[in-house]
Amino acid sequence: MSSHVGRSPGWGRHVAVAAVLFLLLSPFLWLLQMSFKSNDLILQFPPPLIFKPTLEHYRSLWNSAFSASFVNSLLSASFSTGLALLLGVPAAYALSKWTGRGKYALSFAILVTRMAPPIAFTIPFFLFYRWIGLLDTVTGLVLVYTSFNLPLVIWMMQPFFETVPPSLEEAALVDGARTRTVFLQIVVPMVAPGIAATAILCFLYAWNDFFFALILTRTYARTAPVAVVNFMNYEGWEWGKIAAGGSLVMAPVLIFSFAVRRYLVSGLTAGAVKG
Amino acid sequence: MTAKGSIEAERRSFDRWALAPSLIVLILIGGLPALYLLATSLTPFQLVNPGSATDFSAPLRNYHLLSGDPRFINSLSVQAKLSFWGVLFQVLLGMLLALLLNFRSRFVELARTFFLIPMVLPPIVVAVIWKLIYTPDISPLYYAASLLNMTMPSLTSSVDFALIAIIIADTWEWLPFTFLMVLASLQTIPEEYSEAALVDGASRIQIFFYVTLPFIAPILVISAMFRLIDSVKAFPLIFLLTGGGPGSVTEVTNYYAYLLAFDFNEIGYSSAVTIVMLLLVVAVSFGVMWMGRRREAMA
Repeated sequence: MSSHVGRSPGWGRHVAVAAVLFLLLSPFLWLLQMSFKSNDLILQFPPPLIFKPTLEHYRSLWNSAFSASFVNSLLSASFSTGLALLLGVPAAYALSKWTGRGKYALSFAILVTRMAPPIAFTIPFFLFYRWIGLLDTVTGLVLVYTSFNLPLVIWMMQPFFETVPPSLEEAALVDGARTRTVFLQIVVPMVAPGIAATAILCFLYAWNDFFFALILTRTYARTAPVAVVNFMNYEGWEWGKIAAGGSLVMAPVLIFSFAVRRYLVSGLTAGAVKG
Repeated sequence: MTAKGSIEAERRSFDRWALAPSLIVLILIGGLPALYLLATSLTPFQLVNPGSATDFSAPLRNYHLLSGDPRFINSLSVQAKLSFWGVLFQVLLGMLLALLLNFRSRFVELARTFFLIPMVLPPIVVAVIWKLIYTPDISPLYYAASLLNMTMPSLTSSVDFALIAIIIADTWEWLPFTFLMVLASLQTIPEEYSEAALVDGASRIQIFFYVTLPFIAPILVISAMFRLIDSVKAFPLIFLLTGGGPGSVTEVTNYYAYLLAFDFNEIGYSSAVTIVMLLLVVAVSFGVMWMGRRREAMA
């Protein structure tokens, strides 16, 4: 309230921000510190403020089936990101120049794929995969993830293409270059940062998925988020391992989100609001 | 043919080749599954009974059953409660947080980034975090309660508190979203507005209600609608924290559809539940789109 009144904020407000930040992040920090505690320490109350951190949970995860599921997550998220970019980037370029009436209909279609509850896709995909033999395969996951990543790419890339000055493209075209050449050699290098940001968001969406992987995989293609939950259901309550697994799953997300924090809003609202 | 004409013809051919693969893939992995879901919702399909997949003899049977299914009706009301309270808290607290952080300082720039953490975490990790908080043996919350000589009920297995526990976790996860949206909007308020009001002798509270609030009202509505649509997806939290229970206290429609399809093998009936959910989501999306366009037209 007071910022646009032009008064410089006092210390009190800084302290309030710090206190709220600590309060909000405390559940997250609790998980993090737990992953470095031995099993005895986890059950100890009052919780020791200073303790000797251990990597035993991380080490035992690394030597278990969890590492394979981590690789599955990496593979399915990377390939679906690659596929979505390959198909979506040229389409977004073509659409960014398009001024026809169909634009709003298409935006709406994209918004619906973004909004639809995952179960709407899961049932048909499950039945189809069961028939064709794609259940419990990374390929199956890649296809499902592309169903929400492709609309995201088409949506996110358009504003980036709109920033390319048309005079640049026109000059090249008049000189006899083909549109394809102009696109690949002039336009794409200019929007490279946008492509990078979009790629990271796609990767995160696929990486964060739990629902599709829960239903479409069993053992071979199980992803890391599903593997973490399995520690709870079948191997007793190994809190240290659960905390370490959770921390590992969130590590890439935290690093990447920091890199694309400016684009988080436009990615999340994908459609109705320009970020 | 002029040079310009040939450039345009070449351009159109490029556009077709650029768009076609995406459109085909979108139809194959988005459009066809939707049609398949609709077709399945018209059959009594059960996995154990393969012949039932193509039995269209009583196409509207599932939809008739829906209206008389108490568990479905209950799931709608659970969803309504979860959505209403979740969205209300997210918008209110997100707005308060944005107001608190709406000033220039290097520390605040940094703090803003950290405030986003809950939103970007994988939803299943958010569920794990709250599982740790809600499990009495290892939770600092229960320890704190015991220090104050209070006995806290096990939140996630209590009929009275299970839904509240989910709402708290959901609010924690999505508060950053409304915060980010409101903050972006706050930063576009021209300073002259509040300065003029201040000169006229308006109090802070008056400035908030007569200058700030009207300005950010559209973005409050839009973020509320986005959260409303996404609140239908609160699957990992319910899956891990309560499993829909105790009884069906936290069983939202999405979770009921999941149980129907993948626990009870009632694929046909589950598809009908999903179609109804999808129609509701499309209706709200349409509202969001309409508001977004109106806002763009006004700007």
